[in-house]
Amino acid sequence: MPSSLALTPGLGSFLKCLKTNPIDTSIETLISLLKRRQIRHSRSCATATAYLLRSVISACRTTDSAKLIERVQSVGRRLMAAQPREMVVGNIVRRVLGLIRDEAEDDRDAEFALSEIGSESQPQTPRAYDDPALPLDRDSPSIRPDDRSSRPPLTSMFSLLSHPEPENSLPSTPGSSSPNGRLPGHGPSKDVRAEVLEGIGEIIDELGQVDDQIAAYALDHIHSNEIILTHTSSTTVQKFLLKAATKRKFTVIHAESYPNNHEATHATVSGSASDDDNLGLEAFQKPLIEHGITVILIPDSAVFAIMSRVNKVILGTHSVLANGGLVAAAGTRVIARAAKVHQTPVVVVSGVYKLSPVYPFDFDSLIEYGDPSKVLPYEEGDLVDLVDVQNPIYDYVPAELVDLYITNIGGHAPSYLYRIVSDHYRKEDISF
Amino acid sequence: MTEPSDPAQTAPVSTPAPSAPEQAQTATENSPQTLPIRNSKPTQPTEDAPASTDGAKDKPLSPAELKKKAKAEKAARRIREKLDKEGGAASSTTPNPGVGAHARPPTTPKKDAAGPGSAQKGPRAPPPRRGSGPLAQNGSVLVEQKKKKDDKKVAIFGHLYGQQRRVTVAGATKEVHHAILALGMQLMDYTICGSSARCVATLIAFKRVIESYMTPLGTSLARHLTTHLSHQITYLSTCRPLSISQGNAIRALKLFIAGIDPSTPEASAKISLCEYIDSFIREKITVADQVIADSAAQKVQDGDVIVTFAGSSIVKQTLLLAHNQGKRFRVSIIDSRPLFEGKSLARDLAKCGLDVQYSLVHAITHAVKDATKVFLGAHAMTSNGGLYSRVGTALVAMSAKERASGVEIPVIVCCETIKFTDRVALDSIVVNEIADANELLPMNTPVSLVASDPADAYVPPPPENKKGANRTPAPEPPVTLHKSTLSPLANWHNTPHLQLLNIMYDVTPAEYVDMVITEMGSLPPSAVPIVHRMVTNL
Repeated sequence: MPSSLALTPGLGSFLKCLKTNPIDTSIETLISLLKRRQIRHSRSCATATAYLLRSVISACRTTDSAKLIERVQSVGRRLMAAQPREMVVGNIVRRVLGLIRDEAEDDRDAEFALSEIGSESQPQTPRAYDDPALPLDRDSPSIRPDDRSSRPPLTSMFSLLSHPEPENSLPSTPGSSSPNGRLPGHGPSKDVRAEVLEGIGEIIDELGQVDDQIAAYALDHIHSNEIILTHTSSTTVQKFLLKAATKRKFTVIHAESYPNNHEATHATVSGSASDDDNLGLEAFQKPLIEHGITVILIPDSAVFAIMSRVNKVILGTHSVLANGGLVAAAGTRVIARAAKVHQTPVVVVSGVYKLSPVYPFDFDSLIEYGDPSKVLPYEEGDLVDLVDVQNPIYDYVPAELVDLYITNIGGHAPSYLYRIVSDHYRKEDISF
Repeated sequence: MTEPSDPAQTAPVSTPAPSAPEQAQTATENSPQTLPIRNSKPTQPTEDAPASTDGAKDKPLSPAELKKKAKAEKAARRIREKLDKEGGAASSTTPNPGVGAHARPPTTPKKDAAGPGSAQKGPRAPPPRRGSGPLAQNGSVLVEQKKKKDDKKVAIFGHLYGQQRRVTVAGATKEVHHAILALGMQLMDYTICGSSARCVATLIAFKRVIESYMTPLGTSLARHLTTHLSHQITYLSTCRPLSISQGNAIRALKLFIAGIDPSTPEASAKISLCEYIDSFIREKITVADQVIADSAAQKVQDGDVIVTFAGSSIVKQTLLLAHNQGKRFRVSIIDSRPLFEGKSLARDLAKCGLDVQYSLVHAITHAVKDATKVFLGAHAMTSNGGLYSRVGTALVAMSAKERASGVEIPVIVCCETIKFTDRVALDSIVVNEIADANELLPMNTPVSLVASDPADAYVPPPPENKKGANRTPAPEPPVTLHKSTLSPLANWHNTPHLQLLNIMYDVTPAEYVDMVITEMGSLPPSAVPIVHRMVTNL
């Protein structure tokens, strides 16, 4: 920990600490960062989790996948308990668990295929569930089955990076890259761990590139002279708009999301954004205004008034739920509702890593409350004593208020998200 | 600028050297025809609108000419105000040198609209200070500056930027009564804010105007007082656009003045006018508020959670009344930037022992979640049933109607009939009021008055050779200078393509309003035009 004291606590300090400190210290560090909300943004949390799990696995001197799973689960549980509302942490843990399981199954399948044992019921439940559908594939080439079942969760993200066509993510296309990566029949037990580490590396790469991948869809969604309303200082949205700004002229109306995010929003809008910890790795982005895009900053209250002129609402989010609803910065719901009332399409841009397999039943439990002094500063002491001040940080936005999700694997209707969830997370990991 | 002494003795400018603004004023009024005679002051005893005054003086003008002149004057005034505003922040240092320079050439009678505008402007503000600056460059600097300002205007609200708000009392014509000047200042900085309060304050100020008013010779009170009041009204509207209630009150007052028998002695006419104003305030606002609070308080029940937005005086009265009646309920106040009107409401209610919850616009969903009623104040009710009120009201009303639980909660508007208007509004864009965008800057930063001024002040010093070249680098130093210390927005004036929009009102569609409680009873929003007709025909 002493090394982290040099930096302000955050992603940067954590990554540094991860390099120098023993793994248990790092776990504790991340837990305390999460608890203290010193690491906030979805992507920072996801990146930190991914790096941490990579260290955990590389520190774990075992090749037994069951043990790996157990280890990752126990770390994951602690992280999740530290900050249950930071759902990306759980998402990344689930992704890693899925990786391990896939690798384990690859090995097992390979063994089965080699020894021609057809005991379908032996492997873990999901496989058994998958297998009857493809009995023909089963006995032919030994590689096939693992393509079928393990590819979507494992490599879909990766193959997308190279050529982002949404179809690639579909489980029905076992890409051409299938046989080369892992040689299943080859020394089965030897590199579960190496394969998993590689997979985590891919997740980390994905986290780094996700905004650019999403931005690649920008031109499909923004036409010339459009008036776009957005909210908060989300980098994903900014990159999306910037990408469109290179080719088209439009107007951006930016609600300032007072009081929780207005400073960052002001900085984003005026282009004086100082890199916060989550952006440390990124190159400096030119603000929209330097691309000749007119940016109009409005207070949140003016959203309804101006909505009748808005063509499209583009929102960032904190996390996306499996039912298509989302948890986003407070105020988002009113904006989405106002857009609905004015028949304005609402587009949510979000990386797939924010997509959480959680089905919300208790909406209130998703909401986090923040510092009330931002609403009513303590200078107003007499008033603070007398009134009850609320500062929710998040809003739950139901799926029916969203028209379209754009993730790094394409655009989806909210009703389709459950399918992406099932592509990315193994059923047995949903509640680990 | 010194205040014009007494508006009662307006036109007979017996003072030998009228202060600069006055002279400028008259000069420009003449300018289209007879600019050269700028120095001769109009000594006409008539106190009609200045236009007709000097018209009579120069030569009889045909109505068409008069109209044209009036138009030119108006344009001139516009320009002046615009320039004023630009420089206004910087205590109007910047534009003045430029115009001061302009003011010299205009002896050529060819100049019309633009010429007089600047001519008028020049002497108005302190010309001696920098008036001697180089002419041409400053002019072009001005133009560029104006272009820059235009860049800061949100395109779809372009039509609303017409009247720039006044920043100081400087430049007020001498007809303006000091009570009005004071009121103007209070309106300007929102000391007096809220439709009813503005209306009452205006009427009280008018009462003082009328009390100190003396009908000039050769005209009657009924004829002349109206024009005298028009000066006051014009002044007020440059401080802040008039509210609907102010407009309605003024209309009623003018109607009453017009109805005064010219043979009535002045003293008694003034007394009857003052009485009329008193009874107007009493009937239309004071008593009306009591009646509304009474019937609205009946709607409050034990255990209610009442949501309200910003700070409405009538809602406050209602809630306090209900509280005093022994009802137990909770109030959730939603507030918004930049005025934070809800704060004082929260303070007042909490001090009286109510259970108050306070949150901002971003938390509407949470505040509305367990609400049972929404009480809203109004700036105006439009004839198509729309509620024209502080920006953000529509969001609250919408949230009440579109709750997650699917249960709609009643939205009740408390509104005096004086706020009804025959205008209609479909959206919040056609009719609205644009406030100074600098108000949006975070409060703890020394607001743009400081931040933008250095940038503006930079302009006049380098007038030497290159104008265009100089213009561009000029804003740069402040950029770097402020970025570190101030809010990132502090320098938005010089950031191209960045605009701040600070609108004051929005229109809540009629379907979000369940009930309008007025002193004439509780109505659906569709009844607004009927009641408005009833009230105005009385």
